[in-house]
Amino acid sequence: MNWISTLLPWQWALFAAVPIGIILLYFLKLRREPVEIPSTYLWSRTVEDLHVNSLFQRIRQNLLLFLQLLAVALAAFALLRPGVQGEATSQGRKVFLLDASASMMATDAGEERNRFELARKMIREQIDAMEERETAMLVTFSDRAEVLQSFTSDRGRLRSALERAQVTNRPTDIIGALEAADGLANPRRSSTTGDENDVQVADPMPADLLIYSDGGFRDVSDFNVGNLVPTYLKVGSDQSRNVAITAFSADRNVEKPGDAQAFATIVNFGTGAETFNISLYVDGAWRESESLTLAPGEETGLTFSLAGQEDAASLEMRLESPASGASRDQPFDDDLTIDNFAYAGLRPLRTVSVLVVTEGNKPLEIGLTTESAAKICIADFQSPSYLQTPEYQARAEAGLDDLILYDRCRPKSLPSTNTFFIGALPSDEWSWASEPGQTILVDVDRTHPMMQYLELFSLLIFEGRSVKGPTGTRELVGADNGTVLALAPRDGYQDLVLGFEIVTTGEDGTPQTNTNWYAERSWPVFLLNVLRHLAGAADATAAPSFLPGDTVRLRVESQIEAVDIARGSGTPESIRTGNSGSVEFVDSEMPGSYRVTAGEKLVDLFSINLFSRLESQIQPRETFELGYETIETAGMIETRKEYWRWLLGAVLLILAVEWWLYNRRIA
Amino acid sequence: MSATTESIPLLSPDLLAKLERLELVSRKVFRGRMKGERRSKRKGQSVEFADFRNYVAGDDLRLIDWNLYARLDQLFLKLFQEEEDLHVYALIDCSESMNFGTPTKYHVAKQMAAALGYIGLCRADRVSVQALGDQGRRAPVLRGRSGLWKMLQYLESLESGDNVSLHDAVKDFSLRNSGTGVVVLITDLMDKSGYEAALRMLVGRRMDVYVMHILSPEEIDPPIRGDRRLIDSEDGDETEITINNYVLERYKQTLQSFLSSVKHFCSRRSIAYLPVRTDQPVDDVMTRYLRKRGVVR
Repeated sequence: MNWISTLLPWQWALFAAVPIGIILLYFLKLRREPVEIPSTYLWSRTVEDLHVNSLFQRIRQNLLLFLQLLAVALAAFALLRPGVQGEATSQGRKVFLLDASASMMATDAGEERNRFELARKMIREQIDAMEERETAMLVTFSDRAEVLQSFTSDRGRLRSALERAQVTNRPTDIIGALEAADGLANPRRSSTTGDENDVQVADPMPADLLIYSDGGFRDVSDFNVGNLVPTYLKVGSDQSRNVAITAFSADRNVEKPGDAQAFATIVNFGTGAETFNISLYVDGAWRESESLTLAPGEETGLTFSLAGQEDAASLEMRLESPASGASRDQPFDDDLTIDNFAYAGLRPLRTVSVLVVTEGNKPLEIGLTTESAAKICIADFQSPSYLQTPEYQARAEAGLDDLILYDRCRPKSLPSTNTFFIGALPSDEWSWASEPGQTILVDVDRTHPMMQYLELFSLLIFEGRSVKGPTGTRELVGADNGTVLALAPRDGYQDLVLGFEIVTTGEDGTPQTNTNWYAERSWPVFLLNVLRHLAGAADATAAPSFLPGDTVRLRVESQIEAVDIARGSGTPESIRTGNSGSVEFVDSEMPGSYRVTAGEKLVDLFSINLFSRLESQIQPRETFELGYETIETAGMIETRKEYWRWLLGAVLLILAVEWWLYNRRIA
Repeated sequence: MSATTESIPLLSPDLLAKLERLELVSRKVFRGRMKGERRSKRKGQSVEFADFRNYVAGDDLRLIDWNLYARLDQLFLKLFQEEEDLHVYALIDCSESMNFGTPTKYHVAKQMAAALGYIGLCRADRVSVQALGDQGRRAPVLRGRSGLWKMLQYLESLESGDNVSLHDAVKDFSLRNSGTGVVVLITDLMDKSGYEAALRMLVGRRMDVYVMHILSPEEIDPPIRGDRRLIDSEDGDETEITINNYVLERYKQTLQSFLSSVKHFCSRRSIAYLPVRTDQPVDDVMTRYLRKRGVVR
């Protein structure tokens, strides 16, 4: 049993006046009214009789006073909030980590609206049960952590911080929240271990780490709990139902750009089989529906064909209730709604501008002027001497081209656009990693869009070198001597470097082929991929999808000064374009189709979707890994059992008895 | 004492008419002072035969039973019961405690005394209605109906508040009246020094004692509740008490035990105990209750 005083000392002093007042009033009340009677003879004898058991009589006489004082005493006890601590904390310091990710919107939370509200209630109980000496901090985490309240013993501030906490549509990343808690519990040392001058910069502050989550995040491997004592409080039911659209995209047919296809992946994450309709809406109008039944854990892919879809379009896919009739078009009712909707966009067809700087490269010329390439690209071929002209300088600085292709040459400074270097290095950050020699390709990264549909292992390369790029360089094609095709980011642009030449110049100045790639089918396909994905032509068909909360970075034509971005038919937000037509949009919390317009003209499309299997898998996890520890769920943390309500009930009962006795005495 | 109770006449004409037909019953035979209507211990002249005795010289020859002389040849005198008057005393307690109730106990006591006195006067008894205490000294001794007005005059002149103890008052009465007879003590018996000594004194004087115990409804079921300071009207004694149902119950038990102790005390000493409530009509008390109890006939 322990106590939490709810009154300040001066308030207790005021309270102490209450029983004194009652006693004084009691004595005042006992100024008895005089009554003359014939004789006190019989009354005296009566009183003498009563005095025989005088102690009992005295108690009887003062019973009302005793009851009143007892009521006050019980009220005082109630104000002291007696209770039994369910789980005593040994640290005196708590860190509440509240999961605010999308999966916390699942409605399998009993009486509460959703898991987030349930977790909030659990934390509120913990805050209520905190003792004076205890301090706590509150951190919410989704894809980023937010410290809503740093360490304080002020329960009011903790409660108001808790009220401010809001659930988000974002995926989960717990590491930021752990680091916030870790900073106080495990202070860093001033230098590396083993240094004799090493001093600890602050005292470690051990704390209880209370994680209120459904475990919908990746295990954290590189984290040391140190002085933190983690407790995982699982939120959510084990019998949840959720069907989710985990992927949805739309793309135009390469052969017939007027036709488009929409692809979707639907997974049943629930514990029971589910039957539902899946409907496709194009620009808000229903286009197609299909009925599906999925067993628990089953996954299925769907394809919808959209013929004659030449204009830009916003696509929406919805899970709908399987019932027909009046309840048709009703949203499918499972525990998590956010993943029952998915959005995609089809961009309008548009051409990209490509500058090719080469001494002469026939395969390149042919590849960029094929029927398919010509539809999406206008190529401008220039000799390397063009690099010296002011026209090129202006063109490069303004980023007028979507892609500049440097064949065996290199500019003095890199342009404000994406580049593709063939047999040359873009800058000093790049270097050759091997001597020139025959090259045999061993690895192709087919996951990258630029590498799709390519069969490269039959290539012959007479002389090639491997390249080494700056930090962040991604190998697309690996050979026996190292990376021969690499992609590296550069200030919002991308540089693609090919380690071997397509066409070389012989000693006599005649062009010679260095590879048989130009004769392969993969060559025009590769160039088409480059045009689509590096020059940005691919984006012309499928609008990109971002996660909620992500910063959306778009490139629009550089002469556009400002764009309006609107979700569906909502109010547009005006954003000024940055350097060379880059647009950054941060208000990306709500899933949906977003249209980017400049004036009346549709410039771009993108969509925000929660395509996260971790979030859609709402079955709460029992354990997760934190560093080298396995954290098991503690179930419900036992909160402090409070008795003040019982005491107040007793006070009311005593007051009722007192009133009854008083009336009985007066009656 | 309220004016209304005072203004009520002690005896109404109706009651007087009824009382004239009644007669006080004395359970003892006393020797009277004058010729009356009561059987006396003396032998004398009446129609009721008493005894025979031998003739002695000087006896009245008219009393010789000649028939007996004829049969036995001896002279016997035939004796008859003498009829004499009866001494009736009605003693009224004048203490302040009598001055309560509606009508007051004092008023009822005077009504009872007047009624009993009138019955005595009608039967040619020697009637003395007197107050206990100093006011009793000037009480007239009356005989015959003509004494009614004198009696009433005396009663009406009486004032309450003569707080003398019952024992002292009875002692004073006994010293002043040496004769025997019927004594009706009209009192509420609320004497802290006790009533026993007073009654014993009357019994010791071979009086035929009647105790008429006057109780008001307010004493039987007190209407007071709550935290009170009770003040004794006679001696100003104060008792602080919280009157609730429990205490009230105890009071009633105390009253009942007091009444039964009085009754027991009286029955052991051949004292007729007559509890009378002030809310009982005097008519009713005199013509029914007292008749039923054998006090009058």
